[in-house]
Amino acid sequence: MLRRKKHIDSTESNAYWARVSREFKKNRLAVWSLRILYVLLFIAIFADFLANEKPIYCKVEGETFFPVVKSYGVQLGVDKWPKDLATADWYKLNYEAVLWAPIPYSAKTIDLKNNHYRSPFGPQRVESNKFWHWMGTDELGHDIAAGMISGTRTAMLVGIIAMSIATILGIFFGALAGFWGDDRFKVSRLRFWLNILAIPIGIFYGFKARPLAWYEGNFGSELFKSLGIVILTFLLFNGIAFLFERAKRGGKIITIPMDLLVMRFIEIMNSIPALLLLLSIVAIINDQSIIYVMIIIGFIRWTGIARFIRSELLRVRRLEYIEAAEALGLSKWKTLFRHAIPNALTPVLISISFGIAGAILLEAFFSFLGITNGDVTWGSILKTARRYPSAWWLAVLPGAAIFMTVTIFNLIGDGLSNAMNPKKVK
Amino acid sequence: MQKYLLTRFWILLLTLFAVSLFAFALSKMAPGDPVEQFEDVPIQGSKAQRLRSYKRTAQKLGVDKPLFYFQFSSAAYPDTLYKVVNYYERETIKRLTARYGNWELIQDYWHEIHEMERKIEKLPDSLDRNALIKLRQNTTDLFVFHKPEKINKAFRNINTALENEALYSAIHQDSEKLANAYQRVVNEPSTYKHYLPKFAWHGFDNQYHIWFSNFFTGNFGYSYESNQKIETKIWSHLRWTLLLNVLALFIVFSISIPIGVYSAVHQDSWLDRWGSLGLFMLYSLPSFWIATLLIIFFTTPEYGMDWFPTHGLGDVSEGDSFWDIFWMRAYHLVLPVFCMSYASLAFVSRQMRGGMIDVFQQDYIRTARAKGLAEKFVIWKHTFRNALFPIITLVASIFPRLLAGSLVIEVIFSIPGMGKLTIDSIYARDWPVVYTILMFSALMTMIGILVADLLYAWADPRVSFAKKAK
Repeated sequence: MLRRKKHIDSTESNAYWARVSREFKKNRLAVWSLRILYVLLFIAIFADFLANEKPIYCKVEGETFFPVVKSYGVQLGVDKWPKDLATADWYKLNYEAVLWAPIPYSAKTIDLKNNHYRSPFGPQRVESNKFWHWMGTDELGHDIAAGMISGTRTAMLVGIIAMSIATILGIFFGALAGFWGDDRFKVSRLRFWLNILAIPIGIFYGFKARPLAWYEGNFGSELFKSLGIVILTFLLFNGIAFLFERAKRGGKIITIPMDLLVMRFIEIMNSIPALLLLLSIVAIINDQSIIYVMIIIGFIRWTGIARFIRSELLRVRRLEYIEAAEALGLSKWKTLFRHAIPNALTPVLISISFGIAGAILLEAFFSFLGITNGDVTWGSILKTARRYPSAWWLAVLPGAAIFMTVTIFNLIGDGLSNAMNPKKVK
Repeated sequence: MQKYLLTRFWILLLTLFAVSLFAFALSKMAPGDPVEQFEDVPIQGSKAQRLRSYKRTAQKLGVDKPLFYFQFSSAAYPDTLYKVVNYYERETIKRLTARYGNWELIQDYWHEIHEMERKIEKLPDSLDRNALIKLRQNTTDLFVFHKPEKINKAFRNINTALENEALYSAIHQDSEKLANAYQRVVNEPSTYKHYLPKFAWHGFDNQYHIWFSNFFTGNFGYSYESNQKIETKIWSHLRWTLLLNVLALFIVFSISIPIGVYSAVHQDSWLDRWGSLGLFMLYSLPSFWIATLLIIFFTTPEYGMDWFPTHGLGDVSEGDSFWDIFWMRAYHLVLPVFCMSYASLAFVSRQMRGGMIDVFQQDYIRTARAKGLAEKFVIWKHTFRNALFPIITLVASIFPRLLAGSLVIEVIFSIPGMGKLTIDSIYARDWPVVYTILMFSALMTMIGILVADLLYAWADPRVSFAKKAK
């Protein structure tokens, strides 16, 4: 019986998907945006093969190398450069055979012969067209085309990491609010108080009881351990509550208005000025790497997704198949994860898509202000443009890339939302 | 309505409290000694004088008080640590306690270092100068060393300095006491205390309470960088931000409403379709890019279009007439205001268009048309008035966004507003200013949202809080 029900579910959702994708394909702008997105993803994934100061394949003194692949191995610590190649200038080696990347420069390669802002159309001191700087250079002689490719990778990473965090948080809170609502989250009094107690105890043993580790250990790994301890504390306390409940000693059952609590929390999150919050957090972190910006964006931008999931679950939860699943005796959690969430996920794609656009824009803005350092990004190239107005390519190209990426994500989001609500199209 | 108001008000207070806790925690996590940052010139004079002056500054900044109402920490830490006024000493003690967990012994050790230092101060200068300097240096180093290797090295150096006969006879007793105190710290650790929780109540005379209650009386504390009061600093910057925002808001609404009405009336016409696409693109254009492009192309002679000033607000001298100043300012504000308004312009136009179309589909519009009213009358009297109201409430909700937007524009065009102040303060590590602005803009955002919600509830009585939560 259960199996049959599932089967019906899946065909139903397939039909839904088919309808959404059919509607989506009618929107030519959105379809083209999706195609451009594939290209951008391709560039981001194969960035090292598209722009690199090392050749993709070469033969030196009778030996064959794949330097780009090999450098991955070296970074991971499983491979080593031979002695003469470790510090070699890759442009000056005597190759018997060589295959360069389409852009034979890395984002941070300094081409001293072409420093001080060489225009893409102006004279450049290069040996052959192969080494031409197709998008010009900046003051120090960095190749802008290589920088743009590195920036594509950063932008895609920002979108993916920030929105993954936001999606997980959003689904968690949205499910809490939407599936349980104000009157369905029932716990025993004992479990309630044990969970309240677990908060200070988890924080104490996770963070406060290990000061030496926090002072001297690696920030990331210590944070991971501490969070692990907090989660363990909660599991332990809930385990105790479970045992007591089995023995019918859990006390009275109380109802927690989850929806109300979560919605209030979302309201609080929304009234915090995100940009300033991000600025002031990033400012006190000594390591100004972009990864922190991505994580913090994820922790700030989940509210939209949570709202989507919530309203979707409020609808889904009243559908017959959910009732059926519950009537069959499935636990609430199982119903939620197996049946409710998968059917509520599609509209979240809209929110994710707009969210990625916002995250990319924020990151670009941060590197434009110079608050994050490290990799070459679109924002950081745009920043250098102001120092030398004649170098129009420094201003036009990265900005256009940001604009294009943000626009295609907005268009995809627009297309998705129209495809899911065909009635709304005006 | 009253109940709704009250709920909103409680949420506002709760949010403000959450933000204030967050801002306060961040400001305390920021690296560096506030006292030292505040007195940027090292104070001259004897050690005792310097200590007194340090304490005075600490008192002025209020950092000599406990941090919060209560302290929830491990039993290894004392609850009176804040009484160690010096920031670096406090940090070292914290780290030593983290390592050994025996606070009482560390206190003895600390006492011995102070004792030793006092003795060294009193030694006559006639002694071997090099050995004396070495001795003094290594003893003061103990105040900041917390790693065993470094402390041991300092002790070894002290011992080599004591090879000098005269010094040895003068001070060896104290140095042995010091070394013994340290050995006891190392040999009798009580790290188990880290696993015992401890709760201590500090009362209302704490840094957070004072900071938060001062915030409401308009006393924000002192800027590290210029030693000015923060409120003077903020007021002088706030007016430019307000001017920019009011100008931008005015332009946004005076242009976007006609556009929205036009495209709604001529729905699906050629102009509407392309206009919609254009506005959509405009909305996605990052303003910092447009600002950079405008600066590069229109403010430099490079491309023959040097029409506008690059940055600032222009020099105005005392004797200038009102109109001179007006034109000077206006000339400098053209580009920034444009950059601030175009995105909101696109947004508001789209909303206006959507609102008009929604109203067009209502029954009473059909009735109005059916009874033969002139189209002009239907559009302006019936549709426009009903569609306009939600747009007005947008003012409140785009205000926070404009504030954030003006941050970028102010930085790019060097306009001395709040945004520029924020970024400059972050670069200068002037934390009190940064966190005051964070609180300030959170408050503004909340008030904006509140006003928007209230206007909305007032316009549409069907909206009530209970229903909204559903």
